[in-house]
Amino acid sequence: MIPRADATQIAALALVLLPLPLIVTAGGATYQLRIVALFLVFATLTVALNIVFAHTDQLFLFFGALAGIGTYTTALIAEAVGISAWATLPLGALAAGALGAAVSYVAARRGMTVIVLAILTLALQLAALEFFVGARDITGGSTGFPFDGLSVAPIADLAGVDERVAFAYVLIAVLLASLVGYARLRDSRWGAAFDAVRQDPVAAEAAGIDVIRTKVFAGALGASIVGAVGPLYAQSEGYVLPSMFEFQAVDVLVLVMLVLGGSRTLLGPVVGAGAIVLLDEFLGEIGQWRTAALGVLLVVLFLYFRQGIVPKVQDRYDAYRSANDGPDTAADG
Amino acid sequence: MSLTTGIELVIDGLARGLSFALLGAAITLVFGLGNVLNLALGTFAVIAVVVAVTVAGAIGSVAVGALTGLIVVATLGLVVDRTLLSSVYRSEGEERIVLGIFVTLGLAIALDGLMYVYVPLTYSLAHGVPGVELAGIGVRGSTVLTFAVAIPVLTGLFGFLDRTRLGTATRTVVHNETGALLCGVNPRRIRTIIFVVSLVLAGIAGLLRAASSDVTVSAGFELTVFAIIVAIVGGVRDLRGTVLAGFGLGLVITAANFVVGAYLANVLLFAVAVAVLIARPEEIS
Repeated sequence: MIPRADATQIAALALVLLPLPLIVTAGGATYQLRIVALFLVFATLTVALNIVFAHTDQLFLFFGALAGIGTYTTALIAEAVGISAWATLPLGALAAGALGAAVSYVAARRGMTVIVLAILTLALQLAALEFFVGARDITGGSTGFPFDGLSVAPIADLAGVDERVAFAYVLIAVLLASLVGYARLRDSRWGAAFDAVRQDPVAAEAAGIDVIRTKVFAGALGASIVGAVGPLYAQSEGYVLPSMFEFQAVDVLVLVMLVLGGSRTLLGPVVGAGAIVLLDEFLGEIGQWRTAALGVLLVVLFLYFRQGIVPKVQDRYDAYRSANDGPDTAADG
Repeated sequence: MSLTTGIELVIDGLARGLSFALLGAAITLVFGLGNVLNLALGTFAVIAVVVAVTVAGAIGSVAVGALTGLIVVATLGLVVDRTLLSSVYRSEGEERIVLGIFVTLGLAIALDGLMYVYVPLTYSLAHGVPGVELAGIGVRGSTVLTFAVAIPVLTGLFGFLDRTRLGTATRTVVHNETGALLCGVNPRRIRTIIFVVSLVLAGIAGLLRAASSDVTVSAGFELTVFAIIVAIVGGVRDLRGTVLAGFGLGLVITAANFVVGAYLANVLLFAVAVAVLIARPEEIS
């Protein structure tokens, strides 16, 4: 079970998301649908970073590589064996999860600080990208290959909807499932362990929490989510390209989304992803400024707005409530 | 592989090592002094190149162009230090390290973004230094230039740190900030000076690269990554180690490029960085 407040928030989000694919395609526009898919993919990636970075202080800067590993594993094995990519998707998630677990284990074992883990994962990210581009025989090199292995066309035909609309619902289901999972996790013993480990690893260890196990669990979980979302991303784009998994194309965005939306909150990742994707669309008019704007945003966020949108709104709302409810509830606000 | 090819490779490797040493030193100095890992370093190197090529094209003198590039970068460095980095230095410990990473990363992305809009071409310096051939061993003009520029610069850097009052003060701050403060050294002022010096070093490395090959905006991040790897392998607070690591990695990469090709050579470089981080994680914290 998940806490009631979390359930309400997820249900409200579901009510907003469910009509979205139908609304944006009402005029037959597939471009808007692609934006919605992009938002759903990045929102789910941000949920994963929330678990790994915000909750257990492990700054993974190789989300692009993890997504790429998940995608190439899924797509290439499906093609080699000749089975559906849906069957190999768990393998992609497993491969990425295993790497995440290994990195978390080594980092925790060797007592790496945030910055050391950040540089380590950045080096892995760049090495993975060199491999995606360089190992032409395996990955198809920088030109990539078209990908349609996770098609939901048969089901879409049965339901009588467009295939891309149906796939958007798959993405919505994945995002909602990750949020339900996150809410359960946060409310469980793991959630308590995350808090303890983040605030004071030594005290946590003394209190009987296995710090290494906790971090490995968070790293493996976050990485396998990323490994599973990667192939879905490739499906919604229709191809697999190394440039989709670049540091600047994945990690920077996901970090900005998390900090903007609010770390360690349920809906922060979704709000952050939505805000950045919308901003991106807005900047589309002056598209060439996109990268520069993102950089400025990163600086401003980290210097002046570390709190994030969701906690800020929550504070305002709590203040408003306590002001209206009299002194009784104001005391514990 | 013939002996001549071997010697040529070693000379190329040493030249690349000198560039690496300049870049690594730029990271080491700033991180050692103030715990800020400058992820915008390579971007400033590219700015120096773009300004140098533009000015050189306009007035016809490569030397004046290069000098202008370095002056522009130094000025930008002063502005960045006084504004963004002042905010970073206000926090302490691990908080400052994390903030430093993100602020310089954001700065790099913002500046790269601007450059993609305004200067999206490839830039190279027509330095006009002729190649040399000795006993059948060919040395390119750009390699000669690299030796002629980087060796005096690195020697000068060590001379500055070892022999001048300001250099001594710098080393004091690296060793013990509180102690330096008690001796009347102002760490913040030293940090400003060293940050500007580090960007000039990176600018020189960028200009040397532009002398041998084309430089684009995307080279900025690549240079930053090389710089960080060199600094890590050498020990991020150890300038001598960093310079040695620069030479070592320069030789290894040049040889690996020749033997296994560019992409595996780069993978090897990252693998070395990962191995060093795993072996000595306490080095950089």
